[in-house]
Amino acid sequence: MKRLPRGCVNAGGNLASAMEECRREFLSTFRSWGYRPFLPSALQLLESSWDLLPPAVRSRLIAVNTPYGEPCCLRGDITLAAVTYLATHYAPEERPLRICYSDRIYMKPAPPKRALESFQIGAELLGWEGHGADVEMLSLLLSTLDAAGLERTVLVLGDATLLPRALLPVDTPTAEKIASALSRGCLPEYFSLLKGENIPEFYRNILMHIPDLRGGAEILDRGEALWRGESPLSGLRGIVASLTDLGYGGRIIIDLSLARELAYYSGPIFDVYSPDSGRTLGGGGRYDRLLSFCGMEGQAMGFALDLEAMASLSRFRNGRPHLMAWCGNLSPKEALERAGELTGKGMSLEMSWAEGRESSLESAEIRGFSTWTDLSDGTVLDLAGRGNTPC
Amino acid sequence: MLTIALPTGRVFSQAAELIRRAGLPSKELSSPGRRLVIEEEGIRYILAKPTDVPLYVGYGTADLAFAGGDVLLESGMPLVELLDTEQGRCSVVVAGPPSLSCRFHGHASELMGMKVATKYPRIADNYFSSRGAQVDILHLHGSIELAPKLGLADCILDIVQTGNTLRANFLEILEEVCTVSLRLVGSRKSIAFRWPEVREIRRKIEEAVKEMPL
Repeated sequence: MKRLPRGCVNAGGNLASAMEECRREFLSTFRSWGYRPFLPSALQLLESSWDLLPPAVRSRLIAVNTPYGEPCCLRGDITLAAVTYLATHYAPEERPLRICYSDRIYMKPAPPKRALESFQIGAELLGWEGHGADVEMLSLLLSTLDAAGLERTVLVLGDATLLPRALLPVDTPTAEKIASALSRGCLPEYFSLLKGENIPEFYRNILMHIPDLRGGAEILDRGEALWRGESPLSGLRGIVASLTDLGYGGRIIIDLSLARELAYYSGPIFDVYSPDSGRTLGGGGRYDRLLSFCGMEGQAMGFALDLEAMASLSRFRNGRPHLMAWCGNLSPKEALERAGELTGKGMSLEMSWAEGRESSLESAEIRGFSTWTDLSDGTVLDLAGRGNTPC
Repeated sequence: MLTIALPTGRVFSQAAELIRRAGLPSKELSSPGRRLVIEEEGIRYILAKPTDVPLYVGYGTADLAFAGGDVLLESGMPLVELLDTEQGRCSVVVAGPPSLSCRFHGHASELMGMKVATKYPRIADNYFSSRGAQVDILHLHGSIELAPKLGLADCILDIVQTGNTLRANFLEILEEVCTVSLRLVGSRKSIAFRWPEVREIRRKIEEAVKEMPL
């Protein structure tokens, strides 16, 4: 047995097929909406990534040195590579820029994960012209998930600006501690920090309520009522209204305490959940702040999903071809032509070049094919029910 | 149906008592026998080894759970900590022979290369790293106090309630790392998807905590 380094995986079998189908659906959807593929380098210069990532993420980067002596890391985040690329390869008048990608990322795993590498699909829209672009990206994301058979996935939507806004009167070190407690999900610590601080009543009231603001669209009203006349959630409200108009209203949960690990988000943010899995499939949001760090003005939105998690829940997860096509007594040319007619009609099949009919059938049964056909006479056998049907 | 994971062993009775006082279904919890899953009036209880509880919640198998603060810190799982029940309160400490005390009160370089025996390698690593000290961590599964006595380690990192075991082994507390107690935690997904139910259970447990003797 030849093993891989600890934390590394080969994707094969049905999972790889499902991942490939999901990747194809995703790229096909986004490319037809003008998102251009992006294939980032596996190595990124440490100096380009270091200042843009929070310490908790930095400590998980896998650092390497190139033979040219340049300190690098294996890419731990494709958004960063994409934004750096777009900032340096396109003039401002070429915006908005739309890209999509499907590639591996590499990071020291955080519990409960053990893998050093994972597959990510994602899209970025930079230099957008308004709220429509947010909705475009989210609706395309939902549409991709639908195409993969994940029609029950849910977007948990929040806003990364809400907490910093409520923490404005708090000194920076304390505000960072409070924000950290909430993003780590430590509510006793969060409330205890609030108790100990001298925060104006107006802001304290908002901060005390934020962890409780989770639920349907009505949460937006409750959230805004706390701000007495201000509309800090108007962006989120617009997104929810548009997605509802598009028929996705039942797939949105609002969570105004939502925070994402990467600190560069600066507007609406979201996580994607399937009811069939306890862990998030991925997420994303608005990251204008990252753009400005990279020297670009404007607004941007993006997301990334774990392709393996998505594939393992998708309709493609059991995806071997259902049909085994036996060549019978045909020559390879004739057999391939007849099989080609079937694939041309959208069927997916696997050829069997076994010499005898029985050995081909036995192989089909052992390998779990549901249907078998003899290309020479058109016989079709339903292996589950063992009945003959005309081809 | 809402699923709640409960740690077996020492803290089970405290968690079960909180559930009873909170008015949640608990008739069968009083005598679970050998059952590992108990269903009562719309709630499924999973009885799991304490160190496995965060995993059940992290993967979303359980919506909520009771877990010790030490176990949560050691697991590093991304969970939402909803409530500190203050039950089973104790401290995570670094302890060792009194002769070691001066090294802990001096410059951080004094701690470099120190051998630390512990059941909590992750907590120990985070703690000493945060102090800038690189130590040699020995992961033991029990009788940690023996390690300095037998020359296996210089000191230990462990939980302490009364300190009697430390004293019996001629060890003293050198530094307190943090305090821990029984916590109510939830999965991030369940918190988002089922917040009204989760909030109601948290409220009931919070009321029960107020009445429960420490």
